[in-house]
Amino acid sequence: MTTARQRRTRREWGLAALLLTPSLVILGVFVLYPLGRAISLGHQRCDATGTRCRDNGWDQYLDVFRSREFQRALGVTFRFALMTVPIGLVLGVALAVLVDKQLRGMSVYRTIFSSTVATSVAVASLMWFFLLEPSVGVLADWIGGTAKTPGLLRDDSTALWAVAVSSIWANLGFTFIVATAGLQSIPAELYESAYVDGAGGWTRFSNVTVPMLGPTLLFASVVLTGRAFQSYGEFDLLTGGGPNGSTTSLTYLIYGKNSTIKSDLGLQSSVAVLLFVVLLVLSLVQVRSVERRVHYGN
Amino acid sequence: MAISGTSTGWPRVARYAVLTLVAALVLFPVYVMVVGAFKSGGQVLDDPLLPTSVSFDTLRDAWSAGKLGRALVNSTVVAVLVTVAQVITAVLSAYAFAYLRFPAKNVVFAVFLATLLVPFEATVVVNRSTIQDLGWLNSYQGLALPFLATAFGTFLVRQVFMQLPKELREASQMDGLGHVGFLREVAVPLARPTIGALALFSFLSTWNQYLWPTVVSTDDDWNTVQSGLRALSQAQIDKPNLVIAAGTVIVALPISVVLLVFQRQLVRGLTAGAVKG
Amino acid sequence: MRRVTAGLAMVVCVLLAACGSGESILRAGNDAPAPSVDQPSAAPGPTSPGQSTVPGQSTVPGQSTVPGQSTVPLQSTVPGQSTVAPAVPTTLPRPLDSLPACRVDALDEAAAVGPVEVLFWHAMSNELGRELEQITNEYNASQTRVRVQLEFQGDYELAIDKYLQSNTDNRPDLAQIPEYATQLMIDTASHVPVQQCAEDAGYSAGELLPAAVRVYSSEGVQWSMPFNLSNPVLYFNRKIFREAGLDDTAPPQTLVEVGAAGLAIQASGAAAYGIALESSPNAGGGWVLEQWLAKEGEFYSNNDNGRSAPSDRVLFDSPRSAAMLAETQGLLTTGGGIYVGENPGGQDALLKMADGSAPASMAIASSAALGPVLQAVTNGLIPGVGADDLGIGPMPSPNGAQGALIGGASLWLTAGRGDAKVAAAWDYITYLVSREVQSRWAAATGYVPVNSAAAEMEPLRSLYTSDPRFRVAFDQVVLAPDTASFTSPVLGPLREVRSIAAQAVGQALAGADPSTVLEEAAILANEVIKNYNP
Repeated sequence: MTTARQRRTRREWGLAALLLTPSLVILGVFVLYPLGRAISLGHQRCDATGTRCRDNGWDQYLDVFRSREFQRALGVTFRFALMTVPIGLVLGVALAVLVDKQLRGMSVYRTIFSSTVATSVAVASLMWFFLLEPSVGVLADWIGGTAKTPGLLRDDSTALWAVAVSSIWANLGFTFIVATAGLQSIPAELYESAYVDGAGGWTRFSNVTVPMLGPTLLFASVVLTGRAFQSYGEFDLLTGGGPNGSTTSLTYLIYGKNSTIKSDLGLQSSVAVLLFVVLLVLSLVQVRSVERRVHYGN
Repeated sequence: MAISGTSTGWPRVARYAVLTLVAALVLFPVYVMVVGAFKSGGQVLDDPLLPTSVSFDTLRDAWSAGKLGRALVNSTVVAVLVTVAQVITAVLSAYAFAYLRFPAKNVVFAVFLATLLVPFEATVVVNRSTIQDLGWLNSYQGLALPFLATAFGTFLVRQVFMQLPKELREASQMDGLGHVGFLREVAVPLARPTIGALALFSFLSTWNQYLWPTVVSTDDDWNTVQSGLRALSQAQIDKPNLVIAAGTVIVALPISVVLLVFQRQLVRGLTAGAVKG
Repeated sequence: MRRVTAGLAMVVCVLLAACGSGESILRAGNDAPAPSVDQPSAAPGPTSPGQSTVPGQSTVPGQSTVPGQSTVPLQSTVPGQSTVAPAVPTTLPRPLDSLPACRVDALDEAAAVGPVEVLFWHAMSNELGRELEQITNEYNASQTRVRVQLEFQGDYELAIDKYLQSNTDNRPDLAQIPEYATQLMIDTASHVPVQQCAEDAGYSAGELLPAAVRVYSSEGVQWSMPFNLSNPVLYFNRKIFREAGLDDTAPPQTLVEVGAAGLAIQASGAAAYGIALESSPNAGGGWVLEQWLAKEGEFYSNNDNGRSAPSDRVLFDSPRSAAMLAETQGLLTTGGGIYVGENPGGQDALLKMADGSAPASMAIASSAALGPVLQAVTNGLIPGVGADDLGIGPMPSPNGAQGALIGGASLWLTAGRGDAKVAAAWDYITYLVSREVQSRWAAATGYVPVNSAAAEMEPLRSLYTSDPRFRVAFDQVVLAPDTASFTSPVLGPLREVRSIAAQAVGQALAGADPSTVLEEAAILANEVIKNYNP
């Protein structure tokens, strides 16, 4: 009497195992194993030929975290996120709101604003390099004297902003599309009833649009923050982490061209693991704020 | 109609003015790049805003110096490979989570969830040596392998599967359909929009990968367009910009066409993460 | 949401201020306290017993100069030195039979079956790459035993990284590696020293420039074959010099003269700036510092630049180095100079000379750029300036001494890929450094020929006569004195050390106090060296 049901259950187990195996193998070998391996490498120091390593114990993580290079890179990364995420969100939403009307020619604007989604980090960065490069860049020429010498990308105080501008530009397509989709999902009746209640344009925006856009904004900010923390290509192509380390983000500290830890597998892994921890903390915070602040439609 | 917008108070002219201005700003870098790409080598210091000539010299230079033809093929192969594999692995594992009962399901689910939290940048060093130990540096396998499955895709598809009415499964059981039959004939067709979105999303993110191709290839025959562009830009000593501009235009063009064709999937793909999951 | 992010960022920033140690990441895991500036790491750390050496004591018998006494008198009074156990690991010649062997006749055996493929990683871009390609095509066409396949690696840095990250299977048979990675390559223990092949083949190195052979030899072994030599030279705009009433055939040699020329140029309105300075590791920042120290007769690292015994610390934090940097700062403040920052490619200083609105009139850059730059100038890179208006002079330095350290790259034979591969690659190498090929290679690129007979061969002979600009770098090699300080440092982590030094130079050029930044850089560099030799 147990047979039929048990056999079916066991068949289901087998099928589940079969279906899950491909994903589990890939995720295990290329996500979980490397993380574990990095954690263990992270308390070692290795020589440049990568053959000799010595174990320094867990407090190497503390040393790395407290070191001035890590602190500086962490600061650069946070500043980069704070430059790109809010401005990117505001721009994307503002444009989406402006375009969100059945007026003539709006589809043209929609296409233009979405277009930067087609640019990869390499394409976007090189476009901006072309504009900002001190010797021949157009923008460098227009902005004039200070931009020329030594150039926005070569000046400690402006380099990070210059990279941020290129990144905001490159992400605009994404934020615009997401914000537009968010706006379109807001039921028209909400606006209608607000209108009937005599709410003006601004009131309707702040009382209907913004709260209803909450989940979308959160999603976009999570994605943008993640991108900011993991960005590498724009630093590689625009500034090479310089000048004087002012654009050396965490990822660039690990893999970048002039990184002094690039030839030490142990230190590289330390920073990589700490990058993971920082992102983990950040996503926990973001998830909590989902629970607290955001009201989903359903 | 008039009240579906958010700010009827805005005069139309002002709205158009602002939009046109921003549109011009957004297009400006593209314009300068395209103009540069069509200049010839000696014109690097000409007015960058005026298309002084239509020369294909620079484009040709960039094409051959960056081996961009080969790079385009590589990128396409890898992106298609990854996209197909991601869709398959996602559908399979999503089905297991949505329709099958098996022991430690929660644990397995948690494992999937955990992988979402690991940034790829944190695993590059070890992954590279794995690929090297497999002897797959400079190969399509090496470029594609780590991305053949993602938890993101699994969750996305699982979400759709779970929203399908339970009656569908029950009805199909009565028709004698097993799990495989139900998956193939009912679940996947119904999830097609989401799968399409996932496919475009996978394709786009693989195409745009930057760090991985630069560490896993030692041979410029195995550059993708992104790492090829990087190599091209780093190889420039003199006349730095025109060849770079040309290479950038060459690389940007095909993906723009793809996106124009698949516009609808794109919106879904980009907003997919916003679904409650 | 943004508020949350911002708030979190603030919390983290506050935490950072509280928990930052201010120490370098390179010290992570080392339990010993950071060495203070007054006591360079002469005191042995617990992890490196027996590694510490005493500068000044390590002189090799028969060596004429006594380092540490004549050049850095302050160092001999550093406390701690006298207490160090004097176990000095003096560099001994490495017996050749302990190293991978080379059998050149393996090529004969293998070629009887079919041509041997040689994979060659190189880092020559653009015109340089095209010339190398032509030379190689001709080699391939000239015989049937060896097929060389070129693989362009982007740049030197990428080439080194890729070599290090590969194993024998993925490595090329032949690799072009820059001079500053020589010791690092030796330490990978993955090469057949070219001397093995030279001895097996009875090859005479007599024609090769002695200085070039010396720089790629250590522990009594010549490890790799010099191929493309370059050194920094002064690029200057002769048109601007003439307009400013300066002699355009006598470029400045000392920094004082550079400053005077810069002021004259600014005063005359001929150009906005005198010299353009930059601070990237393998150009104006790191490399030039090494060059200047050599010209001053100073060592870059202890134990004769690591040639008499392994270096365990750098010496560029000397008062003389600080004075040199201060003088360079003076070029910016009172010498009409302009600092253009750092750039991995190291081309910004040159490009500043092509700036349409506010050009500089001089720049120090590698002679390897001469060919491409002349090409670009001919193509109209600088409006109104023809190829003849570009002047080349010896690299200026604080004391104006002649000569330069050898830069550029050499060719390395990978071991473990079979005797036939090594023999085939060796055959190709001897072709590349032959006087005919070197003459042509140097003439096409601006590199210094590694074969001293090449300068007497066409086309280089005519070029050196008709266009002396190409000869400047060659003369700098020939004129360099045969002293210990004029041979580049052998330091495993020179790449990292150089980038640390370059950052210090960059900070100084941006206005920081030279001795402070150099002392900080030296501590970091010593840390890197210590970690490299655990």
